[in-house]
Amino acid sequence: MVAMRDAAISQLRRGVLEFCVLALLRDAERYGFELVRALGEADGLVTSEGTLYPLLGRLRREGVVETTWRESVEGPPRRYYRLTPHGEALLDAFVVEWERFRDSVDALLETGAVK
Amino acid sequence: MSTTTLHPAAADYLRRLRRAGRRLPRSRLKELVQEVEAHLTEAIPPGASDADALTVLDRLGEPDEIVEAEQPQPVSVQTTRGVHEWAAIFLLLFGGFVFGFGWVAGLILLWSSRAWTNRDKWIGTLLIPGGLAATIYVGLFAVGTTAQSCSGGLGLRENCTGGFSPGASVISILVLAILILTPIATSIYLARRAQ
Repeated sequence: MVAMRDAAISQLRRGVLEFCVLALLRDAERYGFELVRALGEADGLVTSEGTLYPLLGRLRREGVVETTWRESVEGPPRRYYRLTPHGEALLDAFVVEWERFRDSVDALLETGAVK
Repeated sequence: MSTTTLHPAAADYLRRLRRAGRRLPRSRLKELVQEVEAHLTEAIPPGASDADALTVLDRLGEPDEIVEAEQPQPVSVQTTRGVHEWAAIFLLLFGGFVFGFGWVAGLILLWSSRAWTNRDKWIGTLLIPGGLAATIYVGLFAVGTTAQSCSGGLGLRENCTGGFSPGASVISILVLAILILTPIATSIYLARRAQ
């Protein structure tokens, strides 16, 4: 039962995490460490920060985000991520679907009835 | 970027990440290591305590987890163990008895299957080419070249040439055992690894 719950939560996380990355990039570009730390600090969203780097790589290969390397005065060059128009469209569509999904699940969990 | 300025625990972590990611495409591994190294450089400033460094590494997770997240998930039923995979395993083990052609057919099935990684396929190819048939041929060849021949007898002093010395016999038996067990172990490995 515990394994089933953990698997379900893990899948839920995996499903929404990429959209959380896109949401963090909605208003400004961010570099990898900044993104990973922000997501790592959100309660219950990420179990291992390191697994976000493969996700960022995948989003870049899929053309959802684009990146630029920039020099940093504080250390090594940083890779900055920003949304592409395709990424923006995906995020907008997800927000609409998420609100419907969240409201329906909340209603079911709270009252045991469909909203 | 160089790992020389990194905290020793961070440098060790990167070494483990490189080792864990050996199966990834070279370009992806390079990029991944580059990103994680930048992360470690930023998160563990020079002079950070061992405890702080370990906290950062703990938050990152195990290198194996990162590599696992990098690998594509199996997407189709073709990647499960099926007739194709069992035929490959069978032919790699016994196909060599059919003039070697069966083993080559097994090799083709092995490399055309998506159920194994390239590393698994190389193991299946190299351990041992020809499968059990190769073992038999090697064994027969060894017996043929070291056969003992004797002359004399019936009151005469018997002279024997060739044959194994006791030490050589033990080594030969060990080599033969390894040659028999290796293809069997490889077949078991391939059967377990097919996903």
